Amino acid sequence: MRKYLLLFPLIVWLLIFMILPYAFILIQSFLETDMFGKVVYHFNLSSYQKIFTSEVYYSTLLRTLWFAVIVAFVCIVISLPLAYYIAFIVQRNKVLIYTLIVLPFWMSYIVRAYAWKIILGQTGILNTFLMSVGLIQEPMAYLLYSDFATILCLVYILMPFVAIPIYTAFEQIPKSLIEASKDLGANGWTTFWKITFPLALPGIISGGTFALVLTMGDFMAAFLLGGPKTLMISNIVTNLFGTSNDRPLGSALGIVILLLILVLLEISSRYEKKYATFKS
Amino acid sequence: MLALLAAFMFSCQGGEKKPEAVVDPMAKFKGATLNILCWEGYADEKFTKAFEDKYGCKVKGTYFGTEDEMISKLQADGGSGAYDVVSPSCDFAGYLVQAGLVMPLDSAKITRWNDLSGKLRGMADVRSGGQIYGLPFTWGPDYLIYNADMIKEPPTSWRALWDPKNKGKVSVPDDIVNIYTTGLVLGMAKTDAGAIYNMTEEQLKQCKAELAKLQPNVRKYWATAGELDNMFKNKEIALALGWPLTVNTLQKEGMNIKAVIPSEGATGWIDRLMIVKGSKNTDLAQAWFDYISQPENMAKVAEVTTYSVANPGAAAHMSDELKKSTYAGNENFYFERLNWWQWAKDRKRYNEVWNEVKAAVK
Repeated sequence: MRKYLLLFPLIVWLLIFMILPYAFILIQSFLETDMFGKVVYHFNLSSYQKIFTSEVYYSTLLRTLWFAVIVAFVCIVISLPLAYYIAFIVQRNKVLIYTLIVLPFWMSYIVRAYAWKIILGQTGILNTFLMSVGLIQEPMAYLLYSDFATILCLVYILMPFVAIPIYTAFEQIPKSLIEASKDLGANGWTTFWKITFPLALPGIISGGTFALVLTMGDFMAAFLLGGPKTLMISNIVTNLFGTSNDRPLGSALGIVILLLILVLLEISSRYEKKYATFKS
Repeated sequence: MLALLAAFMFSCQGGEKKPEAVVDPMAKFKGATLNILCWEGYADEKFTKAFEDKYGCKVKGTYFGTEDEMISKLQADGGSGAYDVVSPSCDFAGYLVQAGLVMPLDSAKITRWNDLSGKLRGMADVRSGGQIYGLPFTWGPDYLIYNADMIKEPPTSWRALWDPKNKGKVSVPDDIVNIYTTGLVLGMAKTDAGAIYNMTEEQLKQCKAELAKLQPNVRKYWATAGELDNMFKNKEIALALGWPLTVNTLQKEGMNIKAVIPSEGATGWIDRLMIVKGSKNTDLAQAWFDYISQPENMAKVAEVTTYSVANPGAAAHMSDELKKSTYAGNENFYFERLNWWQWAKDRKRYNEVWNEVKAAVK
């Protein structure tokens, strides 16, 4: 009985913040609206039909997935050397450097996104600098209000989510294995690809999944820094819950995104387990 | 004159007896709070303060950023009396009446009712069953705004936005108002002004194709007036579709920003004040309507918002500059050129088309 009593807060928490909202969204996704945007209780599948037949929805969903893959990939590519450096090269002040990675989290997302506007704009810091040293004659317009700016911002925001699991994975690798590899005549590069990288794969996969999943749900980056063609699926969801006032369609889109993310998580956790050959 | 008026208002604030006051107005409304759900600036203390002092009440403004936010707040409130007054634009005003979210007002209790622009107070969209639901408050155009330092030849047509010369220098709102304006450009409103709010699927396709052609010229679709201001300031753009607010803000900062209503005309908006159904302060709301429609108070509204106001008599209390920029006392200027926003029956489809434009879906 005691056991269940201790579980009680968790159950309440899950019920209020997970199960009820999702159940509500799920039910709403099967309803429709009247001409005033009021939800009416008429059960139908038209919202789902629309998502899979109207190009604007499925093509944006696919493009967002593509964005997410790029963001996750770039995050991993940047995080690998960074995490490697902190885990294996740095001897002192490890905590300080680790803190520096987490430091941006102390600032609000919007402030950080706005900072990119100041850096990337046509009269921004970067363009002004490059022009003053004579590297370019005209400001590079594509730096801001473009897919590039959106992806850059997402990479910047999400990188700690990727770097930290990879760092943790590196830290857990016993130094003896790396020394053994070197004893057997492998050079640093071979040791990394044959020993360190495979052992860190679970961390890399879980970090990449974080970036992938969080990008799927992001709308601020595209909203603040995107160009006229940068449209992500969450921008459509915010539009459906706001301006269009079509909450059933917005809910259905939410459910589709949720299912897609669950599939991604399932795939990733299988791979994580597959590569988790070494239990420390 | 203005200084004199200000001095007079100030002396009233001191609680001195007003010469023409017969009954103490404080008695009825003392301690009450008038909750106004409105566009930013519509409950500014520059004109609410004197009202608060006169009646011993409080005026509390809750600002909304979009009318969808307004609707969801009203629907969520469900007539429980959280809001007394609401300020919809003319695309949502008729809807509020039809959806039963607002109550009729008593024009007999508004002393300056007959001084208000006849055309504005006579409009049919806020009349129903012989009753009037809206007090005309502010109004204005969706301008073609340009930076005259960057655009040497003053544009006369919306086509300037499409001009290949202006590649990457244009911003238009992230909103279906672009579809309306494109309809104007394509001449769809020539015989029936309402046609651009009730387009056929074929017409929507035409507009979509036109807006797709605009895309290479667009730097960014602006989401807030502040964002648009910043893009002008940082020279990211040279031309935009925007509100008078942007023009006035940037001119005050010394920028050479100009605005035109192009030859095709422009869409425009009329904001009304309405009493929310379920309000427990309807008398106070009426008193607010009476107060705010006085010419000197309307002039203050124009000063704060830089929008045109519904009482042409307000011109007498304005600076020459403000008189000119708000076309005070010259209602025909707007009526000859503007196509007033209307409720788009298929708003959902309009929004979908707009998303299709952004996603570059044919």
